[in-house]
Amino acid sequence: MSMPPNKQPFDLGKAAYLGLNLLLLAFLLAPIAIVLVFALNPTPYISFPPVGVTLHWFDKFFETADFMRSLWLSLWIAACVLVLSVVIGGACALALARGNLPGRAFLTAFFMSPLMLPAILTGLALFQSYLLSGIGRPLWGLIMAHTLIAVPYVLRTTLAVLHNFDRRIEEAASVLGASPARVFFEVTLPLIQPGVFAGGVFAFIVSFDQFPVSLFLVVPKGETLPVVLFNYMKFDLDGAIAAASMVSILLALAVVLALERLIGLKAYVKL
Amino acid sequence: MTTRPPVSRRALLRTGAGLAAAASFGAPAILHAETKTLKITTWGGKWGDIMKATVLPAFEKEHGCTVSADQAFPYVPKLQVSPRNDPLYDVLHTNSNEQWLSVVDGLVMDKITAKEVPNVADVYPYAVSDKIVGVSIFTSAIGLGYRTDKGITPPKSWKDLADPKLAGARGGYLIPVNSLGQCHLMMLGKIYGKGLQDLDAAYKALEQLKPIKLVDFTGQMEKMLLSGEVVEGVIHDSGVYRYEGANRQPVDFCSPSEGVMALEQVLNVTPGSKVKELAFAYIDYMLRPDVQKLLAEGVWYSPANKKVKLEAKYDAKLLTTPEKVATLIQPDWKWYNARKDDIDARVTKILKG
Repeated sequence: MSMPPNKQPFDLGKAAYLGLNLLLLAFLLAPIAIVLVFALNPTPYISFPPVGVTLHWFDKFFETADFMRSLWLSLWIAACVLVLSVVIGGACALALARGNLPGRAFLTAFFMSPLMLPAILTGLALFQSYLLSGIGRPLWGLIMAHTLIAVPYVLRTTLAVLHNFDRRIEEAASVLGASPARVFFEVTLPLIQPGVFAGGVFAFIVSFDQFPVSLFLVVPKGETLPVVLFNYMKFDLDGAIAAASMVSILLALAVVLALERLIGLKAYVKL
Repeated sequence: MTTRPPVSRRALLRTGAGLAAAASFGAPAILHAETKTLKITTWGGKWGDIMKATVLPAFEKEHGCTVSADQAFPYVPKLQVSPRNDPLYDVLHTNSNEQWLSVVDGLVMDKITAKEVPNVADVYPYAVSDKIVGVSIFTSAIGLGYRTDKGITPPKSWKDLADPKLAGARGGYLIPVNSLGQCHLMMLGKIYGKGLQDLDAAYKALEQLKPIKLVDFTGQMEKMLLSGEVVEGVIHDSGVYRYEGANRQPVDFCSPSEGVMALEQVLNVTPGSKVKELAFAYIDYMLRPDVQKLLAEGVWYSPANKKVKLEAKYDAKLLTTPEKVATLIQPDWKWYNARKDDIDARVTKILKG
């Protein structure tokens, strides 16, 4: 007897593909689920199964002055780093892609090099440089250090867009009488915008979560959230840490959603 | 005819503006000269809360200075890379092992005496012994924490941690990064071998403790005991006693019969400090009986000053008499640090997996 015409035969490959994707998804989301359980569990230690649901740890997080001060500082630094890395990384990418610079491959590797070094060494080296040059540990020094780490992300994503850029569009604008500045702002920038903003999102998140570089560069009463959490964890390993993690995740998600509203996530998907 | 005032309004304003400008230029210099800043390291947690809320503001008021208290680890590497003539800290607060690392590099002073810090005259001998650089302001006793509800016999000896019933439920530390773990390793040498420095005996005994749950920080061990994940583990007395009354977890502390290891809170001054007098004054203040009592009862640390009188419940459990203090065993951190790399490699191999 033949099969009904509308019933699909079992596809082992497709099932395996789906299963693998589900496993990967579970692998990615399981830590977040565990953190959420810990953040909502009333016991002052990790225990499973949870014995109840409470918002006490979120209250503690929002009521602790050190947490709040460091949260706002981290957000402020990440916002500065986003702007700086977008400007610097975008300009570098344009120069590298368009400038016909000698040693372009070397320059690209040079700008990407902060990602090759262990961040803890970068932090230690910057700390020593700042102290020896008498700068101390100013806030702008911390912002510059984060920017150093974040620029390669913007550079890479912008270069990816520029790689497939059709320059004839710019030439057409020039032929039609547009000035170089107008061509840049009205043709080039809108076209490379997805790459620049994708890099900007990475820059924000990299800065907001930055720990090894910040460890050496923060000052008393000027610690970023990851540093405060690390120090807190050494003495008080309770649900406030999990609540702080959940807030961080939600903030990162809020940034992504805000950018989606501004330029659309579909633009990222094309990268 | 009108008479002109002796000083015109315009001249008065100009002179006033000039004086104000001069004053504003001069003011920061005067303020700078009067308000010294003392840069210290300190712990976080409950200790940090008490320091920030009470101890440091009182010191600032008393000495007309500001205190910049760094709570972000790691202190010694940061001090190492800062210029010797303008160190990042004036007072370094660490455990004893890190003080010994620092003194070898010339980052802190060898000794602090009653000449610089008068209250040193009142401390127990261990606080300024030859096993200490700087001065110990408090100590904890490293012993065994255990659950009273899991059917185990309360421990009396360090050897009880090797009870086969505790397989997988005993707790220790990642020895390369935790000084309690390092103390425990030396104690194993003393119990099972010829002394604290008998590493071969210690390694052999460590092997017998597997399977063992290992943590980085004492805070984690506290929580593992509270949650029951660890039934018996190495911990300092403060890490158990500080939860008294805060929860109903059946956890207690045992001072093993062979003695307890000392976990000293040590203060020391950096030789290049530009405010050395203020640094000594701070250490003196931290050794003052009222400050010692406040912190000892806040975090359950045993005060180093002999003259401190604690409330009965603290006095009963902390090391507050010469007899109790005599049970403290102080490790030779200079000896340990000199061979730390080899020890780290060996214990990592033993406890791998």
